[in-house]
Amino acid sequence: MAAWLVRRLAASIAIVWAVVTLTFVIVHLAHGSPCGQSDGRPVAPETCAALIRRFGLDRPIGIQYVKYLGALLRGDLGESLALHRPVADALAEALPNTFTLTLTALVIDFALGLALGVYQAARERRFGDIALGNAALFVNSMPTFWLGLVLLLLLAQWLRLFPVGGLRDLVLCPRMDSLPCLADFAWHLTLPALTLGLVGAAGTARYQRAALLEVVRQDFVRTARAKGLPERRVLLVHALRNALLPLVTLFGLTFPFLLTGAVLVETVFAWPGMGRLAVTAILQRDYPVVTAAALIASVMVVLGNLLADVLYGVADPRIRVRAT
Amino acid sequence: MPTIRPTRRLTAAALAGLLLVAACARKGGCTGDYCGTLVIATGGEPDVLLPVVSDRAITRDVTDQLFLKLADLGLSGNTVGDEDFQPLLAERWEWDTPTTLVFHLDPRARWEDGRAVTAADVAFTYDIYTDSLVSSPFRSSLRHIAAVTTRDSLTVVFRFRQRYPEMFYDAVYHMRILPSHLLREVPRSQWRSAAFGRAPVGDGPYRFVAWRAGESLELSADSTFFLGRPHLRRLIWRFTPDQQVAVTQLIAGDADAVEVLVTPDNVQRACADARLACYPYKGSAYGYVGFNLAAPGDSTKPHPLFGDRELRRALFMTVDRGALLHNVFGDLAKVPPGPMSQLSWTWDPETRELPHDSARAARTLTRLGWTDSDGDGIRDRDAHPLAFRLLVPTTSAVRRQYARLLQEQFRTMGIDVQLDEVDFSVFNERARAGRFDALINAWNTDPTPSSGIPQSWTRAGFGRSNYGRYENPAFERLVDRAVASVSSRAEAKRTWRAAIEMLNQDAPGIFLFATENVAAVHKRVADVRMRPDSWSALVRTWRIPADRLTDRDRVER
Repeated sequence: MAAWLVRRLAASIAIVWAVVTLTFVIVHLAHGSPCGQSDGRPVAPETCAALIRRFGLDRPIGIQYVKYLGALLRGDLGESLALHRPVADALAEALPNTFTLTLTALVIDFALGLALGVYQAARERRFGDIALGNAALFVNSMPTFWLGLVLLLLLAQWLRLFPVGGLRDLVLCPRMDSLPCLADFAWHLTLPALTLGLVGAAGTARYQRAALLEVVRQDFVRTARAKGLPERRVLLVHALRNALLPLVTLFGLTFPFLLTGAVLVETVFAWPGMGRLAVTAILQRDYPVVTAAALIASVMVVLGNLLADVLYGVADPRIRVRAT
Repeated sequence: MPTIRPTRRLTAAALAGLLLVAACARKGGCTGDYCGTLVIATGGEPDVLLPVVSDRAITRDVTDQLFLKLADLGLSGNTVGDEDFQPLLAERWEWDTPTTLVFHLDPRARWEDGRAVTAADVAFTYDIYTDSLVSSPFRSSLRHIAAVTTRDSLTVVFRFRQRYPEMFYDAVYHMRILPSHLLREVPRSQWRSAAFGRAPVGDGPYRFVAWRAGESLELSADSTFFLGRPHLRRLIWRFTPDQQVAVTQLIAGDADAVEVLVTPDNVQRACADARLACYPYKGSAYGYVGFNLAAPGDSTKPHPLFGDRELRRALFMTVDRGALLHNVFGDLAKVPPGPMSQLSWTWDPETRELPHDSARAARTLTRLGWTDSDGDGIRDRDAHPLAFRLLVPTTSAVRRQYARLLQEQFRTMGIDVQLDEVDFSVFNERARAGRFDALINAWNTDPTPSSGIPQSWTRAGFGRSNYGRYENPAFERLVDRAVASVSSRAEAKRTWRAAIEMLNQDAPGIFLFATENVAAVHKRVADVRMRPDSWSALVRTWRIPADRLTDRDRVER
């Protein structure tokens, strides 16, 4: 197990390095300049030249890359060209918001997906199964940003059940230091997390339904039924545990999906997270922030997959034995 | 399933409790004339709260509440002379000689930490603004000031290199005075990343409270402010991904004000809301199609099409600017009489321009040899079609809409226009390098034409913001005269008009729109006045009368 973990970690580091390198090269070779106009006012060429000199952008890309990697190994992500502050500080402010959003979405995705999948499997080919299956397919085929806009329009603008965006009520809760303010935060989190989680949940439900239907036809389930166990117990205790394996794989794959989805959802709901930071940085050609955002995203994806592999081993002892 | 029901009830009760708690605002006790919170939704965010190194509009809006100028522009917007300026940090001023201006600082002015604002702070600020290491965007605006020295702790002397109409404007408008005792030690090359820029200490009507990146920025009123305590106790800027989201938040009641509604649709929605009041004011932007007079990528050769003045004039006359404007902006903009925004005091609808005359344009094109010889609908000459590419930034919905409409108007004249829609940083890069045939650009201008026109339409702007490399020595002589050697505003206006008329005849661009801004503010806010060059300049005089205060206005945090 230890050797396997070491191998996986080494592969993970290689993947992260490759992502950082590719991102660095692509953003530096892309057309565009980090300075030109600011709010419809021309930026003086001297100011641009000073900025470019200060950040070493006038040097060959190879030298810039080596310098960047050296700094990265020392834990220095550099300074933002547009924000005039260390990239680490900007990310430290944005990351917790993205984590909160994606983790909540993950909970919605799997809790709802699991429940719907089990419900559909229990009512296979009956009205509930068919109706939910079609509804899940409909939601699953929606682009995340579009679903976000629909929910925003319907639940926030028309029905006024939720705020139209942001992290909190800025007047009443500038700090999250009380129960009402935590509740307010949860209220603001609901729509973006629901947007992100719903699309995933629709997919998860389909996976779960298929997995459960495969398991309920196996001999051990028939045995359980023959022993006279109630159907609920057969389904939820005996069948479900064995039908969870595909979901563990799905769990690892969901991380990248949620991260990319978060980029759009954060923009739609004015959620100050890493996705929004990255989009703004790309538009402003803020190279250090773009590269750091790619680094963080790749680390999260790799960790998600690693976690899925470990969970897979936990859920299925046969895999754990093979891994050792 | 009897065991499930209590769980469901518990969950429902917990959710209801959570919502109830969320709905219960923490009620505070603020009463009277100095309560109230104004939440301003905006599509931008400051980069740094140091006015010397940032010229973003949102940075200016925030820092205008934190740092004072010596004096400020009056509501008239007159930048000539000093009679229309209002005292701020300087309680009075006089001219020792025609090129020596003496300011007397208000002895009551204090920095937030209690230290007095002194003449040394003013001299230090000038030094920073003009230091090439700091590389302030306002440095060139101070080029006519030779020196700033102190006479005593409250008297500061400005010496100018020459006499000109806007000496006073240059002395006071660009610089926000900074605390030398807190900033002297910051290395000049590191001003942009100075910690002070994220937690500033100022001398203005408001004090910095908190800045949550990507989310909000909060200021609180300085109850001891020497020019009068601000009525609104808290100002909160709420940052949104774009102006459209800002308007949505305003209409949903999550914000109290939006400085500019941008589109006719937004204006209609906001102004129809019974809770909101709309305030129109002159915009500072103008947009235009700029022709590249030099060959793309090689500024030593003329452009094969736009090097020809007659062809440019024909293209200008082809375009029905009024129809385009009506289509894109409705009533929210005007066709400018030249390269100027409505904010400019040189705005004069009587300025002579080329007319919209498609028949004359067609005759000119035919006379120049551009005819449709092969019947494909596009004019050609010597087997070359009359075709060019129009560079447009994808980030501007207005400019993209204009591009499509222009493409159609030119097509009817037998001119083929292909659009190059690129993201804003690529647009900037190509514009600066001259790698375009024509572009749709927009500039935000100062209240005076003296800085923008020379930068964008004379030889001095080559390699800067004169992207199309237009030059006309006679025009430049007139501009120099208007900027430097006239004594009265009326004479300056006449000279500017003559210069603009000359430029219009050369048609280096097609001037499409000059925006009219409309702000929306919640109706409980009274005494709302907008100064066109800086809508938030007078926020400290806005107030919420005691009988209109809401629980949210009273809340103590």
